[in-house]
Amino acid sequence: MTTSQSTYLDDPTANDPVMEIRNATVRFGMERGESRVLDDVSIDLERNEIFGVVGESGSGKSMLASALLDAVVEPGVLDGSITYRPQSGEPVDVLELNKNELRQFRWEEVAMVFQGAMSSFNPVRKIDTHFIETLTSHDYDVDEGMERARQLISDLYMDPERVLDSYPHELSGGMKQRTLIALSLILEPDVLVMDEPTAALDLLMQRSIVSLIEEIKEEYDLTILFITHDLPLVADLADRIAVMYAFEFIELGPTAEILQHASHPYTRLLLKSTPNLASPIEAMRPIEGSAPDPVNVPSGCSFHLRCPLADEQCVDVDPRAYPVGDGGDHVANCHYWEDAPETIPMTEEWDVEGIDAIDSAPGPSRADGPLVSLEDVEVHFEKEGGFLDFFSDPDTVQAVDGISLDIYENDVVVLVGESGCGKTTFGKTAVGLQEPTAGSVKYKGQDIWDLKRTGGDGSMSFDAVRRALQIVHQDPGSALNAHRRVGTSLEVPLKRWNPELDGNDRKSRIVSLLEHVGMAPAEDYIDRYPHQLSGGEQQRVALIRAMLMNPDLILADEPVSALDVSLRVEMMDLMIELQEQFDTSYLFVSHDLSNARYIAEKTGGRIGVVYLGELVEIGRPEEIIHDPQHPYTQALRWATPELDFEGGGMGGESPVRNIDVPDPTNPPSGCRYHTRCPEAREVCTTEHPEPREASAADFHEAACFRTDERHEYWQSPSITDD
Amino acid sequence: MVTIGWRTRRLAQAAFTVWAVITISFVLIRLMPGNAMGAMMVSFEQQGMSPARARELVELRLSVDPNKPIPVAYVEYIASTLRGDLGTSMAQGEPVAELLAAALPWTLFVLSWSIFISFFIGISVGALMAYWEGGKLDVGLTSWAILMGSIPFYVLAILLLIFASYRWGLFPSGGRQPTGVPQGFNVTYVRGILYHAALPVFSMLVASGVASLGMRGNSIRVLGADYLRVARLRGLSDYTISTQYVARNAVLPMYTTLLISIGEMFGGSIVLEYVFNYRGLGLLLFEAYNQRDYALMMGGFVLITVAVVTTLFIADMTYSWVDPRAGGQDSESY
Repeated sequence: MTTSQSTYLDDPTANDPVMEIRNATVRFGMERGESRVLDDVSIDLERNEIFGVVGESGSGKSMLASALLDAVVEPGVLDGSITYRPQSGEPVDVLELNKNELRQFRWEEVAMVFQGAMSSFNPVRKIDTHFIETLTSHDYDVDEGMERARQLISDLYMDPERVLDSYPHELSGGMKQRTLIALSLILEPDVLVMDEPTAALDLLMQRSIVSLIEEIKEEYDLTILFITHDLPLVADLADRIAVMYAFEFIELGPTAEILQHASHPYTRLLLKSTPNLASPIEAMRPIEGSAPDPVNVPSGCSFHLRCPLADEQCVDVDPRAYPVGDGGDHVANCHYWEDAPETIPMTEEWDVEGIDAIDSAPGPSRADGPLVSLEDVEVHFEKEGGFLDFFSDPDTVQAVDGISLDIYENDVVVLVGESGCGKTTFGKTAVGLQEPTAGSVKYKGQDIWDLKRTGGDGSMSFDAVRRALQIVHQDPGSALNAHRRVGTSLEVPLKRWNPELDGNDRKSRIVSLLEHVGMAPAEDYIDRYPHQLSGGEQQRVALIRAMLMNPDLILADEPVSALDVSLRVEMMDLMIELQEQFDTSYLFVSHDLSNARYIAEKTGGRIGVVYLGELVEIGRPEEIIHDPQHPYTQALRWATPELDFEGGGMGGESPVRNIDVPDPTNPPSGCRYHTRCPEAREVCTTEHPEPREASAADFHEAACFRTDERHEYWQSPSITDD
Repeated sequence: MVTIGWRTRRLAQAAFTVWAVITISFVLIRLMPGNAMGAMMVSFEQQGMSPARARELVELRLSVDPNKPIPVAYVEYIASTLRGDLGTSMAQGEPVAELLAAALPWTLFVLSWSIFISFFIGISVGALMAYWEGGKLDVGLTSWAILMGSIPFYVLAILLLIFASYRWGLFPSGGRQPTGVPQGFNVTYVRGILYHAALPVFSMLVASGVASLGMRGNSIRVLGADYLRVARLRGLSDYTISTQYVARNAVLPMYTTLLISIGEMFGGSIVLEYVFNYRGLGLLLFEAYNQRDYALMMGGFVLITVAVVTTLFIADMTYSWVDPRAGGQDSESY
């Protein structure tokens, strides 16, 4: 490592920095050597700006957040200087504060919101206690403070009394995250550091929270440092964006500049690897290689191993910050920043190929009738009451309520929807892991639950069905047995279903599959335990394990959402390739419309939109993305962040009237979406829309009165207030 | 689909266990090798009673009429057991229920103190070990805890007896109350009782070893939790953090361990009270066993089971009150 420095001091707009970070370095002494997880970073945070920091996991971005509060965990050592300049009063050198001053500084001046809102609250204490104890330990007036808390909570579109009186586990993920934002603002800080504040939430909630952050920032006069791995998400929000790679900034500039004239090869590759709705799927490419180990960062430019432009100069000389363009506020740490746009174009010669690819997508063969057919499936769960309602009727959660769907051979259906809308439950029902409380699930015409109970007519066994319908879970880490080597885990399905193979045959088959999915040398991987694999590798093993059963249908429950953005495209490509090879169908579950679109478009499949246990729209990705009929699909479309290379955020008003999904124990009458729908009219509150043909395109159906031009809906008065 | 609330299910489970125990005790009386009833009849007849008189006595003492058909006898046995009539002790000639009632408080006295002290020590030591995880104190205390956890309590009891009583004469070697002191609520008597209970209580402190290891693990887990980090950043005082955040969350899982250990200790009291000649429930049962006093044995058997089942039931019912998250099966992942 040479003396690299990413200094951005000559920024002409830099007139009123609220925080100045100079040469911040965080070191950890490890057995393998010293590890620098933040490498000599200097940056000014301007007052009242939203500053976005983007990087892959393990790029040091969370360490930057901890450094701002001088909260680097032991045994990490933070060097450099961090100066905080309050609106009035003397600048504060944060690293020189004593224990008591630091306690005051944190949360009163700079507060922080973490990714793990799920676990940021003490599980045994009510929400209001969290607010009160924060106020009292900082000697604030509690009554006044709680008044502010109520205001904050209702500014975040929640009911203050209900939230304050709840235990953390009683709130949904999105509500917890918003409550954590309220808690971080309770002492009226000037600076808010948000470390992946929305990563664990689904897209609609992410977008809603991001637009709330803008409102909150104006109202409470905040400076926000927003850290994320998701470039499109922050693109809409931030004034400036800095890209982190290998524990330092490699490019920084105003958001529009970064999007339009990204000059560092890494930034350009990152932009290209992000699934989105606008660019053609062929333009999305994964970044080769992986992020460097903090103990062993490559010499010279840390990106040179993965960079298509790298030459000897990059190996030897760590690039300084080169100014890009005339504004002087855009800098990139690359010797060849001028050549990058040409070498890595954002839009490739895709037109001819692109159309070709879509035409050649295999698509389902519908001739033989459906492979799995679900008819009017309902799954209702009963919910336990508290101790006092010992004898009252338990509430029923209508997780799935009357969905019909046919899945054909070589078919791909992607279910999208918010968390808690029943898409996973429906998926499990489709592969026979969840027994429906009503309706039927048929595999090749045979009701599988009848088959299980009665044994059927002998033409098919439940075991065969079980084998034909497989699942790949969201979290590969917990889906693999932690105490079994990869090879042992993969052998099990072969032993069970291919008893004619001997040990050597099994091994060679596993080795060839592992190599096929890019895990080479396979002999080495076979003897590893799951914790010795990366997330992407674990997911591959889980996928191979499912494939070895030679299934007809695989339920893939959010298979890529646990992976870094730059790895998602690669994983999805692999799944598509395996589909063609093994001749299976997929039922994907995803909350991300751009992932759904990528898979469905590449395979000629369909996208189904699920809301509160109902299938509200289904169709080919072209229709769902470009011609969505149901207002809920339109809301999901809005929530999917767009990279707008032409500049200017897409933004727009939120198309949902309520941020939170209604309680599934008591779903709204009529059309279930009417409580949030911007187009809702009186008839929607009483009458339930049935799915009907939504456009001229094949297989496009939506459950909304607006698709029927003659429906009484058009005469009915609107129920939206605004 | 009708599902029954888990509380109702849990109550039914408890009731089933109690019923099963009563039934087993009935079957044992009937079928015990050597035929307990037959043996009683014979022994009465040998004492020169008429067969009719002997049968009457047996019926009175065991609440079982040897001549009635088994189903009728079974129903009557259950009915009288539920009424609290456990028969009459053969050896002592007094109602079993009264004998048990007189002995139970002494056992409960020793048990509650041992549980309280051993968990108090276990939790404090465990918290200390977690706080200095990996340090010398942690290593030392962990070895101590493992030693405590591996010594059977009766071995410790005998060691205590040898040293604290016979060699050094610090504590009495047996008995449950001072002699020659008027019974009642006076200082000498209460002190004497505590004095006599001390060694049995200390012997049970082996339980603190396991408890402290459990507490250590829980605390280390809590210390790494996200909410602790947020609490520190929010500037909460160390006192609030250690009591309301670490201790509260780390102690929660100990609650179940504690109530389960009550059951174990009841069983252990038989040996313990024999070693210390402490006249409680355990010793009573031990003597009943020696004298083939079936009615008393079965009565004690039923009583201990009911006590353990009840504690576990209370534990289950109150856990949701101690931990707000445990409101039955959470259906968060639908």
